[in-house]
This record gives sequence, structure tokens and C-alpha cells, in this order.
Amino acid sequence: MSFSLIGKNILIVEDNPVFRKAMRDMLYSLQAGNVVEADNGIAAINAMSKNCFDIVLCDYNLGVGKNGQQVLEEARHRKLIDYRCVFILISAEQTTSAVLGVMDSKPDEYLTKPFNAQQLMSRLTRNFARKEFMVSIDKALAGGDLSKAIQLCDSLLLSADKKMHLHLLKMRAELAISAGDFDKARQIYHEVLEHRELPWARLGLGVIDFQNNNIEQAIAGFQSLVADNPMLMECYDWLGKAYEALDQYTDVENVLQQALQLSPQSILRQKKLAEAADKNGNLETAEKAYKSVVKLGKHSVHRSCSDFSGLAKLYAKTNAAEDALKTLEEMRKEYANHPEAELRASTVEADVYKTLGNEELSQKALLKAVDICSRLGNKAPRDLQLEVVKTCFLSDEHDKAEEILYDLIHAHIDDEQFLNDLRRMQSGIGMDNHSEILIQKTKQALIATNNKGVALYKQGKFKEALELFEQAILTMPDNKTIIVNMLKIMIHDLKVNEFCEEKNQRIKALFIKAKQIGVDQHKLGILQMEYAKLRQSQAVKA
Amino acid sequence: MQTSPKSNGLFPTILASTVHDIKNSLGTLLELVRQAAARQDGQSAELNQLEFEAARINHSLMQLLVMYKVDSQKFSLDIEESAVTDIVNEAIHQQARLAGLHNIDLQVDCNADLLCYCDSPIISNALAAVLNNALRYTRNTVLISVAEEDGYVHIAIEDDGDGYPPHFLAADLNDTAELDWVSGNTGLGLYFVSVMAGLHKNAGKSGFVRIDNESCLGGARFKLFLP
Repeated sequence: MSFSLIGKNILIVEDNPVFRKAMRDMLYSLQAGNVVEADNGIAAINAMSKNCFDIVLCDYNLGVGKNGQQVLEEARHRKLIDYRCVFILISAEQTTSAVLGVMDSKPDEYLTKPFNAQQLMSRLTRNFARKEFMVSIDKALAGGDLSKAIQLCDSLLLSADKKMHLHLLKMRAELAISAGDFDKARQIYHEVLEHRELPWARLGLGVIDFQNNNIEQAIAGFQSLVADNPMLMECYDWLGKAYEALDQYTDVENVLQQALQLSPQSILRQKKLAEAADKNGNLETAEKAYKSVVKLGKHSVHRSCSDFSGLAKLYAKTNAAEDALKTLEEMRKEYANHPEAELRASTVEADVYKTLGNEELSQKALLKAVDICSRLGNKAPRDLQLEVVKTCFLSDEHDKAEEILYDLIHAHIDDEQFLNDLRRMQSGIGMDNHSEILIQKTKQALIATNNKGVALYKQGKFKEALELFEQAILTMPDNKTIIVNMLKIMIHDLKVNEFCEEKNQRIKALFIKAKQIGVDQHKLGILQMEYAKLRQSQAVKA
Repeated sequence: MQTSPKSNGLFPTILASTVHDIKNSLGTLLELVRQAAARQDGQSAELNQLEFEAARINHSLMQLLVMYKVDSQKFSLDIEESAVTDIVNEAIHQQARLAGLHNIDLQVDCNADLLCYCDSPIISNALAAVLNNALRYTRNTVLISVAEEDGYVHIAIEDDGDGYPPHFLAADLNDTAELDWVSGNTGLGLYFVSVMAGLHKNAGKSGFVRIDNESCLGGARFKLFLP
């Protein structure tokens, strides 16, 4: 065997001293030199923030505190380990990701206890071989270079490594989706399926339907897939997303219920369920889900102050004012000096005190909320801003409410899902269609600006078109359509006019901005590919 | 809201938790035995036996847990393309100590490029249980061979022991409702691997198991077919 543990940094995470010793002995017998041990999740995270590990062997069940999956999620989320690290999750029973409630972060390998040195070594050998094979692609992706990753993947596919072929095809299809090249991705999935009915390829086809806005077709595909593969948790998540896109929250709730029955440990899924049930007015389900979220959040990197305020809001709705206030108190303890948490707390408090008949405290809380909200501005999550608006309306602070609404509508005018949330909020407080005129006016303004900009662009007046959009972005900050249009114009500008570094820098900054405000990856991917091609031909010319 | 179709009380959950708990204890026990064995200079027959028995209990419990999940409809295979050598090697590595202890000549005939579609951890574990039996009942040699045939990949494990007893040979292994033959470790292992094979499906074909005493080595022959 050419693979060796010499020089590798290894972390063992295991609470049971007998197993810890066993693993350490095993590793030393395999010539490992640098072995660090941790007996709980926090110690593991600390060790990973200090050292860069090549291998992490982590037990799932770590007693109190974080479990192994939570350690992995936090390590990846905080970038304590990267694509080079082999993370093996160890457990007492044959494990699948469904059992562990994995939603966004899978380990490189699962290993069942007890295992011997040969088993461990063969897993490590296989994983390092795979990583070494894929390293160039992973590196390009980590650097955000989609075009290079695709090139590398294509050339590896030609290398005729039979064992890696299917793995590469899967990767290639995913890269194609990221680049907005749905035809290529679809072609790969069909090719794979012709050979063998594989769930991931079927799922991929559904995802393409979804991204292409063929939502009904996507749903049909996902439904038949879960019928055949009840443990394919990813598919439930996509199904939920698809129903959400159709604004069918009862279906969203049902699908998540189904998924959580099979895999109750996922905090992110519980959160989605809580939100959907809340929207549907199923307070009992929502309360239960929020309680799970708060509980699961205790040791999870995915926890957030909104978990607490969500629960508190529910208590307020069910007239359990005391519980609501208690939850907020707990939240303030967990999130001290956290403006968003304080904003959430104050908003709920304004509501609760009002129902308790304490106008004075309610008013005080509202003023505080409005103050924090205007200080945070766009940095406050939009759902939270909506809450503040609602509370303002309910407390007859109409001016303040309209002010925030105006900014919200301008910022998110091209996000129909959010506008629906906004409409729902207004209907909920007896203000049906309240903002409809503003919404339509803003939409028209956006269309007008767009048309004008595109016309200028067609006349070759790039500079003027860009200036127009720059102006528009001042009144509609974070508007996705405008940002994407600006990118298109700038890239085209580079194509026909002189190349210059300043323009390049601006494009890069716009790409970053587009990512930040959540432009769909596949829309951005097309532009990224175009830009990469341009850079390449420029490099050749130079 | 949906309830699980077989919610006959808390028992299934308690069973699963209990098995899980026993498995944890067993793991510790096994490790302590290993450490004690390592401290002793010469080989201790009792400790080896202890280790072997603990490993067997562990195997049975693992299978029980999987069968419980199948029964409560919380199980589906995770099919991926894998190299057959990797699957076979995993089973061999699991049983490596036993092969070494009994001084058995373990031969493997497997094309390194051969790939198959299956849930590889499940299949490796099932094969390991079959291999465990072969290692116990053989005289000198165990042969693992792999081939492709009629759209199936088949993995054979054969030995030079006395062969399967007649009531095993008479049983229809693929009729998993017919449980007469399921007794003792060998029977359970065969039952498990039959059920798991049957869950593997492709293009109208299902996986299956066949046993006979036609081994080229003169003893029992087990064959797993994966579509």
C-alpha cells in the first residue's frame, strides 16, 4: 500500500476512554505520528481552530453537548476544515445520513464500530485516493473558479478512469447546473439513467425542472422519486422548495412532517416546518416544531435568535404571554449585545404587552424596535422588518410602518415570494391590498428603467446605460434584476471595447454583490462562464 | 398528519434502543478483550474465543437493527457504483483476525476493474457474516470469486468443509416468508443476505442468493447475485 499515515495530522473525537485508547493504539500501530484527542464536541472544535487536520475520526454519540454531526457541520461552516480533510463519522450502528438528520453536510465516510486497523486503513486509502483524484477540481471550486473546474472535470472524464467515471459525471452535471447550462446537465442525467436507474440522476432532472420554473413537472418527478426511495431526504427538501414556489404551504408542511418523521434530528428542516405551520395557522404543529428547533439549536451552528423569537411569537398568539416573555428572556441571555436579537425581542414584546393591556411597556418596546430597525436598515432580515411593520400598524404608528415598507418594497420588488409574504402579513391584520399601488408603481418604475437601460445598451451607449442603473440602484438597493443587468452590460463592454483593469475590478465586485443578495447561482453561472471565457481570450491576446 | 403504519406501541422503538445500547456495551467489551489479548505475550485461546463470540453477537445485532428498520419501513438502500474488490476486501478485513487465527488459506479471485451497483456497506456486512461461517466450517481453504453473468454480478464464497446440511439445501432461500430454515447463526446470516439481495433491483431483475455443496474445493458454496 502506497498510502501512509506518516506526517498526517489526525484528530480523534471520542468520549469513551476505552475507544479513544483503542483508536490511538490503532493509529500508532499504523505509524501515525501526530494524533490529537478530544473527548467532547467543543474540545474538538477548539482543536480544529488551532490545527489543520488531514484526518478527523469523530464518534457520533459524544454524550452531552454536540454530537458528531454537529461537530462536522460547525467545522465546515466555520471553515475549520476544507476539501482536503477526510472526515469519518463513527457510530455504533450502520448509519445513513437520514438517521442522523443530515441536511447540508455529509461526512466523507461512515464507519461502524467496532472496526479494526485494516478496515480503517482501507477506508482512508480509498478516500485519499478519491480526494487526490478530484483535488484540482475542488481547488478551483474553493477559489470560486467555475469555468476552470468545468475544464478540469472535462479533461478528467477523458482520462478513462472507470472507477471514477460515474462520480465525475455526477460532478460534471452539478457544475453544469451551477453554470446555468441545463442542457448539458440534462444530457448527462439521461445518459446515466439509460444505463441504470439511479436516484441522484432522477433528482437532478427534477432540480433542472425546478430551476427552469417547470414547478409542476418537478413536483411530479420528486413525488415518484420519494415513493421509490423513502429515505432520500434531499428529495423531501426539494419537494418542499417546489411547493413553496407555488405558495402551497399546506403541502410544504405535509412534506416536511413526512421527512421529519423519518429523520427528526435536522434543525433546518424543523425550522422550515415551524415556519410553514405558522403560516398555515397550525399553531400546535408550529409550537412543537419551534420547541424542537430551540432544543436542537443548543449545540448547533445553525441556531439563530429567530428560533427563540419564533417560539415566543407563537406563545403570544396562543395567549401564553408569560411563556412568551420567558422565552425572550432566555433568548436575551443566549444572545447578549446582539442587535438583531434585541430587535426581535422588542418586536414581540410590543405585541405581548399590548395584549396584556400594558400600553406603556408596549409603546416603549415598539419605539426601541423601530430605533434598532432604522439603525440596522438593510442589515435587518427582511422577515423581521415585516414583523416590525406589522407591529407598527397594529400600534397606529402608520408613518413609521410606511417608511419601512417603502424601502422593503423597493429593495425586493422582483421577489414575488417575498411580496406574497408581505401581502399575507397585510391581509392578516385586515389591510388587504394595502401596498398594491406602491408595488405596481415600483414594478413599473423598474420595468421603465430596465427598458431605458437596455435601449441605451443596444445603441452602444454602455456608459449611459450603466449610469442609469447606478442611479436606479440608489432607490432600489439590492435589486437583483438591476445588478444582473449591470453585469451583462459590463461584460459586453469588455467584449467590444478596450480591456481595462478598472472595469475588471468593478465586475468582480458586482459578482460578489450579486452573490450576497442571493441571485440564483445558475443565472450568475452563465455570466461567470462568459466572463471567464473573455478573460482567457484576453490572456491569449496579451 | 401521518402515523407510521406499524405503530403497535412503544415496543419496536424500545427494542431498537436496547439493541443499540447492547451494541455499545459490546463494543467496549470487545475492545477490552483486544487490549487484554495484546498485553498477553502468547496467544490465549480463551481470549480469542471471547473475541470471536463478541464479534458474532455484534454481527447478529447489526443485522437485527437493519431488519427492524426494514420492518418499520425506515429503510431504503443507498445504491452507488462500487468496485467489487472494495466490497469483498471490506468483508475480508472484518474477518481478517479470524482467518489468521485458524490459519486458513483465504484465496480471492476478483477482477480489480469490475464494478457493481449496490449498497456497499450492507453487502459487505452481509458477506462478512457468510465469510465468518465459511471460516468456521472449512478445513483449510476458503475461496472468494467474482464474475459477471447474464446482467448479474455474482460473488461466490466456497470452502472445503463438510458443506451445508440438507435442510438448508432444501429450503427456498428467496422465499423470505418461509422461515423454517432460519435457525442458528448460519441460518440468520443467510436470511439476512437473502433479504438484502432481494431489495437490490434493476431493470426487472432482483438480487438473490443460491447455495449448494458443489464447491470446487469440495465443501459448501454460497453465491450472491446482484443485478
